[in-house]
Amino acid sequence: MLEGIFVDGLIFSIMVVGVLISYRILNFADLTCDGSFATGAAIATMAILKGVSLSGALALATLGGAVAGAITATIHNRLKVPGLLAGILTMTMLYSVNIRILGGRANVPLLRVTTVYTKFPQFFAFVSKSWALLLGTFIIALIVKVVVDLFFRTDLGISIGALGSNEQMIISMGIDPRLLKVIGMALSNGLIALSGGLLAQYQGFADANLGQGMVVQGLAAIMIGEFLFDSNKITLITLRVILGAIIYKALMFFGRYYGYHINLTPSDLKLLTGILVIVSLIIAQTRSAASTADARKKALKKNVERRRQKEAKDAKN
Amino acid sequence: MLKIEAMSKVFYPNTVNEKRAIEYIDLTVKEGDFVTVVGSNGSGKSTLFNLIAGTYPVTGGKITLNAKDVTNTPEHKRAFTIGRIFQDPTIGTAAKMSLEDNLITAYRKGMKGLKISLNSEKREFFKKELTQLSMGLEERLKDNVGLLSGGQRQALTLLMTVLSRPQMLLLDEHTAALDPRNAQIVMDLTTKFIERYHLTTLMVTHNMQHAIDFGNRLIMMDEGEIILDFNQEEKRSLTVLKLVEMFKTIKKKDYASDEGLLIL
Repeated sequence: MLEGIFVDGLIFSIMVVGVLISYRILNFADLTCDGSFATGAAIATMAILKGVSLSGALALATLGGAVAGAITATIHNRLKVPGLLAGILTMTMLYSVNIRILGGRANVPLLRVTTVYTKFPQFFAFVSKSWALLLGTFIIALIVKVVVDLFFRTDLGISIGALGSNEQMIISMGIDPRLLKVIGMALSNGLIALSGGLLAQYQGFADANLGQGMVVQGLAAIMIGEFLFDSNKITLITLRVILGAIIYKALMFFGRYYGYHINLTPSDLKLLTGILVIVSLIIAQTRSAASTADARKKALKKNVERRRQKEAKDAKN
Repeated sequence: MLKIEAMSKVFYPNTVNEKRAIEYIDLTVKEGDFVTVVGSNGSGKSTLFNLIAGTYPVTGGKITLNAKDVTNTPEHKRAFTIGRIFQDPTIGTAAKMSLEDNLITAYRKGMKGLKISLNSEKREFFKKELTQLSMGLEERLKDNVGLLSGGQRQALTLLMTVLSRPQMLLLDEHTAALDPRNAQIVMDLTTKFIERYHLTTLMVTHNMQHAIDFGNRLIMMDEGEIILDFNQEEKRSLTVLKLVEMFKTIKKKDYASDEGLLIL
């Protein structure tokens, strides 16, 4: 049972790393993710059913997501519309595309075929089935984390980070910001689609509505992660995103598992996720307000002390 | 180096908001020139810089940079030749990234590849470069730039700009947002770098004394045109009062307030 939460969380964490790249690193409010997640699931499912190798299916899913991300970035670049609108456009169009990929159906099961999740127990035969699934997912998530960490330490990765922080600086350094956005968004949605491709295999079906609400869930996980610790190092940032994703999935699991005691149904979880994000924002705000108030208190105290010292000095004289 | 011919810029043409920001400008800047640009607010100085840098397209005329027509070249391509520093210290650096990440981005102009260039050798080099700012920044390579003060950020911007080896500098009131001491430090560094790297420079300033003291040429702008142009010889005999007097004579009207023009 607990292994299940971790498998779920680790698959989800790959998507959250994708959301991290668009929202936090590129500073691009991207909604493509709701569509590209399902695109990844659809492509992987259909590729596996058509007999493509498992790694090939995951590669195709990633590529499909990358194309979706590149399209969003291109709409934003060429038509000069806000990223939010560009993302909504791509997301909406992807809904139709995803059903096309799934052969005109909204839901395609992956039954009695070999998927990575039927392979893992064979591959890691030395542990029990549920641990084998966890180990396999862990390795994939680890590879993704290491690759992303490395990428954001390359010159290209650093310049993408700089773009998210200050676009004018990138222009001043002779780089076309449009190209960087396409690369960053392709990477982001590629990871999101990869995550979708894995989830389809784990749960045994692809659904055109799989991506619904993914952005908010991703943001919730990122914010949970940000409570854990503060850092500007990419290795720690991705680590806390993964931890945040697992914690989020655990919270949702317990919400589903014990929620019926307080009359909570699975359909309430989206509301809870939204509230979680809002609460996170409130806490983050009060935290910064508290540190400001704290600094002010200290400064006032110092002033009082200084005045006292001065008065004491004056009294002496 | 830079040649501007019959350039004009109209914002929102054919609408009620039509604004002729640059009326007509002919300007040739020779290699190694250091031109100071003065003029009241709204006289078109910043627009001139934006047009040279390529932030927006010209309405009419032609811009030649290094004997190459760049009139329709996008800003990021012109940036290979032009290094630009703004009044706002936050524009030149990425606040959410560390000093070393900022420096490595500036180290070489142009699109980056998948190489990891930031190694211990580069860090040593950056430390050495930062030392000449004498602000103690060499100890703070891993800190986010957002933690630095305005003066420190502007000095860092200056260093990053010259590290990327432009041939020309556009300084848009780059010391105006700093306190007098930091402004002095940044100005000293600026002249040092200009001399060392033989940079052709255009500097907008509201400080008339700076405009006279620095550079080998002074131009004054008004209503989108260059109304005064002094070479090194003529500049030497200039004083702030003379400059203001001349401005008034040309304008044929007394400015009720010289505040827009002058900070003595």
